[in-house]
Amino acid sequence: MHHLNCHNTVIESHISAKFATVKKYVFDKRLTVFYMKISSSQMFRNLSKWCLQAVTAALFLGTFSANAQEPSAETAIDGGKLFSTNCATCHNPFKDGTGPKLYGAQTTWNEKTGSGEAIIEWVNNWEGAAAKYPYGKEVSLKKASAMNKFPNLSKGEVVAILDWVDAQVEPVAAGAATAGTDGAAGTEEEEGFPWMWVILGTLFLVIIGAVSGVRRQLKVAAGESTGEKGLSYGEEFKKWSWKNLRYVLIGSVVIFIAIIVVFLQGLGRIGVVEGYQPSQPIDFPHTIHAGDQGIDCKYCHNSVTKSKSAGLPTVNVCMNCHKQIAGNDDAQKSKIAKIYAASGWDIEKGVYAGTTKPIVWNKVHVLPDHVYFNHSQHVVVGGIDCKQCHGDMTKQKETAKVQTIAELNMVEGNVQLTKPTLTMGWCIECHAEKEISTGSVDSKGGGYYEEIHRRLLTDRKLYKQYLEDGKVTVKELGGWECAKCHY
Amino acid sequence: MKIRLVGGLMLTAISIVLFESCVSDKDSSGLEYMPDMYRSPAIEPYVDYGEIRGRENADLKMQQSALTPPHGAIPYYGTNVEDVKLMMPWSILPSADFKLTHGLTGFDFAKNGLNTYEVDALAWNWNPLMMDIEVVKTGETMDRKNLTLDNAKKLYASNCMHCHGEKGDGNGPMMKSGAFNGVPNYADKSALSDGQIFYSIYYGKGAMGSHASQLNKKEIWSLVHYVRQFQNPDYDKVAKESAILKKGEEKAIVKVTAMVASVVAPTEDNK
Repeated sequence: MHHLNCHNTVIESHISAKFATVKKYVFDKRLTVFYMKISSSQMFRNLSKWCLQAVTAALFLGTFSANAQEPSAETAIDGGKLFSTNCATCHNPFKDGTGPKLYGAQTTWNEKTGSGEAIIEWVNNWEGAAAKYPYGKEVSLKKASAMNKFPNLSKGEVVAILDWVDAQVEPVAAGAATAGTDGAAGTEEEEGFPWMWVILGTLFLVIIGAVSGVRRQLKVAAGESTGEKGLSYGEEFKKWSWKNLRYVLIGSVVIFIAIIVVFLQGLGRIGVVEGYQPSQPIDFPHTIHAGDQGIDCKYCHNSVTKSKSAGLPTVNVCMNCHKQIAGNDDAQKSKIAKIYAASGWDIEKGVYAGTTKPIVWNKVHVLPDHVYFNHSQHVVVGGIDCKQCHGDMTKQKETAKVQTIAELNMVEGNVQLTKPTLTMGWCIECHAEKEISTGSVDSKGGGYYEEIHRRLLTDRKLYKQYLEDGKVTVKELGGWECAKCHY
Repeated sequence: MKIRLVGGLMLTAISIVLFESCVSDKDSSGLEYMPDMYRSPAIEPYVDYGEIRGRENADLKMQQSALTPPHGAIPYYGTNVEDVKLMMPWSILPSADFKLTHGLTGFDFAKNGLNTYEVDALAWNWNPLMMDIEVVKTGETMDRKNLTLDNAKKLYASNCMHCHGEKGDGNGPMMKSGAFNGVPNYADKSALSDGQIFYSIYYGKGAMGSHASQLNKKEIWSLVHYVRQFQNPDYDKVAKESAILKKGEEKAIVKVTAMVASVVAPTEDNK
């Protein structure tokens, strides 16, 4: 019954929709003619009006004549347009996709079958062509998936499509060389810095050692000639420090205080992971994926709206695109080959071989076990954008890292914070400043925060209590309570 | 003397190397105050359990960063009966063939004559997901919100838009950059049944992979509703007329079905 009713509604609305377009078309035509009549009768009343109307009339005439020319335009078939509507989903001129590449297919078919009709028969009904021509049989075994049949495409249309394909020029993979050199320069710079200091330090020590050795040898030689016994290093130092006791004492106090200060500062750095950037099995460039290709963070980190963990994409998510995209240069190809190895994709045959191997990523944002943090609470309920805590990943060329607070403060619309990223100070500083979202809380509507927000804004007493600064922050809703995060 | 000098130099060199190796371990996140409180002995996502609380387990070390759920595990779908009904694997489990695909391909189960919910859905031309319409009365004005479509809009933006484009014309940023090609325009595909759209998202179609791991069935059905809007701008209207606020009510959430405006029986051409 349910089914039946639906069907009726559907057909009715379908008909009315069709009728509506027809009516609209008629109305437009009438309007044009009507307008032209007026403009011709009033044409010479005054010059400025005439000019204006002439322009408008020309415009309308232009559209009218374009309409009139439409049928003749249809005779020249646009192969590119037909290709993109009918074929491009599976075929590419130069690359094997779901279907084989089409460049030169026309010539090959004509040569192998000796008939210009064969490929048209194939497009219209590939099963028939496969039975008729031996080459058709061969082609039908090329790919596992069966091709759609296109009985509606005329001979002229098929030829137009194939001519369009053959007229294409293969794009050359660009940027291959530059990408490689860029990467090399980056690593050199990174490693060059500490090693320079190490070498300089060693050189310095060698010089000091050599000079003191020479000095000592000279002294020993001098002592030998006078018959005195030379002092050892320790005795010499003792003698010198007794002589300059005051300076030595001041010096040791300074050194002692410095050590304590450095130690305390060191304690403050324990558990601070700002700038932490562990190595990853694949040098994943967020710039290309989130930046150039415009893929939303939530496509790959898709559990972010449902779970406490944002989630790393499983390999099948990578393969959603990388089944088609194998990389432009060697650097990219070698990285993408790791995905193929993990998913068991055989790039030659275009099938999954069945053997898989997990990719072991290194966790970047590590929170201690005694803290509870929930991504979905912040992203869905709080409506916080990913970049507010993770920085602008569309500009992150290297692998992911814990952004420093200086970098986060530069993100547009961020609350300015002072404490290092991922520390408790950072969390509560933001909770104290950040106003709660007033937007829709979840698909069920009318959530907890909205209700509290409404109460706060209507109840004067509560309002006074909470809103000394004229805003409702996370803290004022209990965002500073210990048990919110520690339990 | 010479030996002393050489020895001293060697000692310095060794200590520098040791110091370097301690400080510049890129994969170490640094010192922790209380490691036993930092690492959860219970399984947490993406944590290497090769070493926990000082105990090493060489078999686990750097083997996996994510674990697969236990065999036969079903996610928690909440307590709403309708949602659970929509989400549960229908009558039978996926067949042994599912192992071949790992859910990775647009593997056509229909060819193997297997009777599953998803395959059945291919032939459906109705969307089992009722749309949630929220009507709020403020004074004399009635605010109407289609919660399902609003939610689907967000899902579309994060899951589909980079290829299919904001307007569903198959001209998303990935097309514009030239990384991908051949994404169809939704407007050209109005002949597809609801079930076929569901099936394409669930199992993948052509160059598109399966999105079953990213979107649950409710989300897919809500996207089917959303995609219909590209084919018929008045798609939401059918639902609009059915949403009525009862007397005395200030706010109501009404569940309604929305129907496809143009339906053509699935042909060989658009399957």
